Amino acid sequence: MIRFIENIIRSAVDATVDKAVTRMIRDQYTENLFELVPATTKVGTTNLMEIAMRANQGTSVSRPLGSPIHLSPWEKILFNPCHLFRFPTPENVGIQTSVTIGQRARKPLTLSIPVMIAAMSFGGALSKSTKIALAKAATAVGTATNSGEAGLLEEEREAAHLFIGQYNRGGWMNTPDKYMRLDAIEIQLGQGAQGSSPQRTTAKNIGEDYREVFGLQHGEDALIHSRLPGVNTKEDFIQLVRRLRDESGVPVGLKIAATHHLEKELAIAVEAGVDFVTVDGAEGGTHGGSPTLQDDVGLPTLFAVARTSDFFMRKRVMGDIQLLATGGLVTPGKMLKALALGADAVYIGTAAVMALASEQMVKTVPFEPPTSLVVYSGKMTDQLDVEQAALNLTRYLNACMQEMEQVAISLGKTAIADIAKSDLCTIDPFLAKATGIQLGMVSSEEQEQFFVDTQPAFDDDRPYEHQPVEFSEKQL
Amino acid sequence: MSNRNDLKNTLSYLHSELNRIETMAGTLSTVEREHFNKLTNFDHRELMDIAVEEQNAARQLGAIKQMCLAMAQKIEGMKKALDHGEPGERTQHDPVH
Repeated sequence: MIRFIENIIRSAVDATVDKAVTRMIRDQYTENLFELVPATTKVGTTNLMEIAMRANQGTSVSRPLGSPIHLSPWEKILFNPCHLFRFPTPENVGIQTSVTIGQRARKPLTLSIPVMIAAMSFGGALSKSTKIALAKAATAVGTATNSGEAGLLEEEREAAHLFIGQYNRGGWMNTPDKYMRLDAIEIQLGQGAQGSSPQRTTAKNIGEDYREVFGLQHGEDALIHSRLPGVNTKEDFIQLVRRLRDESGVPVGLKIAATHHLEKELAIAVEAGVDFVTVDGAEGGTHGGSPTLQDDVGLPTLFAVARTSDFFMRKRVMGDIQLLATGGLVTPGKMLKALALGADAVYIGTAAVMALASEQMVKTVPFEPPTSLVVYSGKMTDQLDVEQAALNLTRYLNACMQEMEQVAISLGKTAIADIAKSDLCTIDPFLAKATGIQLGMVSSEEQEQFFVDTQPAFDDDRPYEHQPVEFSEKQL
Repeated sequence: MSNRNDLKNTLSYLHSELNRIETMAGTLSTVEREHFNKLTNFDHRELMDIAVEEQNAARQLGAIKQMCLAMAQKIEGMKKALDHGEPGERTQHDPVH
């Protein structure tokens, strides 16, 4: 019987496909359904759907989890294992993974691993149970979690042994009764996915618990300003940093969206005496921001890390000011490359949320997206098993660290913090030039000569297009 | 003078105990890592989770070791400052790594 039904279905599918293919071949292109294929290829599937959403909604589209565009060419950078010139680390030697943030502060913050949970706010982004699960996992592995732009959520503070809070543009963490209870204060002036643009959560999307944590009145919107209230000059910022450092004693840092103005921003941060700087690259995620802010604004994470690290080196503040990198670091390889380029620790957001929801996403698909389990306005947040979610993230963080430790052993290092730019090579000459990573195509001794010989290629206006190189007689 | 000596003795005591905690944390971290290796020999989900806990504990003990090292360095600085007749106040912290 089943065989009979199968044969009928096969015949029907065969006839339909035959008819469709024949029609696509015979029809004029303008009347042809196949037109969708080149049109979608030209515009892009994501762009096509977002055009339709804009046309339907008439307002800025809110896209979760950040830009799908990969602007940091991490895949063109590779680690250099060693065998004889330097020996690999014996396997019975433990790799030191801890890192201290704010070594100049009265109460430095020491983490067991250099990977932290990124700033994702309760209410503005995630549900209470998700924030608690993130905090529990962070505690289990001995790292910190970040409040995001929110008020102080008591349950999160309780679950997190190490809690970094954002002194934010909404003002919800900016009173001593709240920031004095933090293990580090991160002054949030911007983020990779949204720059320094203002954001608003309308009152209709704000529940009772949200209102309570944020101190909002009934019917009041939650508004994140483009500027930090009270900080309108460079001097205001410097005073704020000094006041928070004196009052709290914990590390005080600055978080910014990485931009081409980076060094100018960093110079002020150094002058203010911050303990750490968090640079959020253009690949940074968010609960829901406009595609234009996500895709077309900011500096990619890789270059942000390399430039900040170089700047700190030039200013001789390496070791005094820690560099925290974030934005699109979704694999242990990318995290470790950011650390090798000079970051002291990294934040992960999207990857952490995905790891957290991983085994439970079967509760949502195929009718709802997995994010409906974790975002504040999600339809299925009550179905998230907090303990299971925390366990999944704990396992994920452990697996990431294990993979990083494997690389460290292969590099002959005994501490993750010892992995440096010299442990990397790149297969892209322009990346080598820009970041100071050695070019893997030629030996260390030939690096300089290679760039002298190929100078005409670098003088060209179109760096990523292949150009024939003409050598002078002298060069040959 | 007696107070100064008391302070020096206390700092010496704290220094030696921190060194001891540092050594203990290092040893325990090694033990935890060995436990991780043994537990992962079994193809058992729950044992694997215990192994993960062991590995996280090993890393946290590694962090304790580093914290002890940093604190011992600070105390050493305070002791030196006392020897030079300063009251033990230091605004700059020694680097921990």
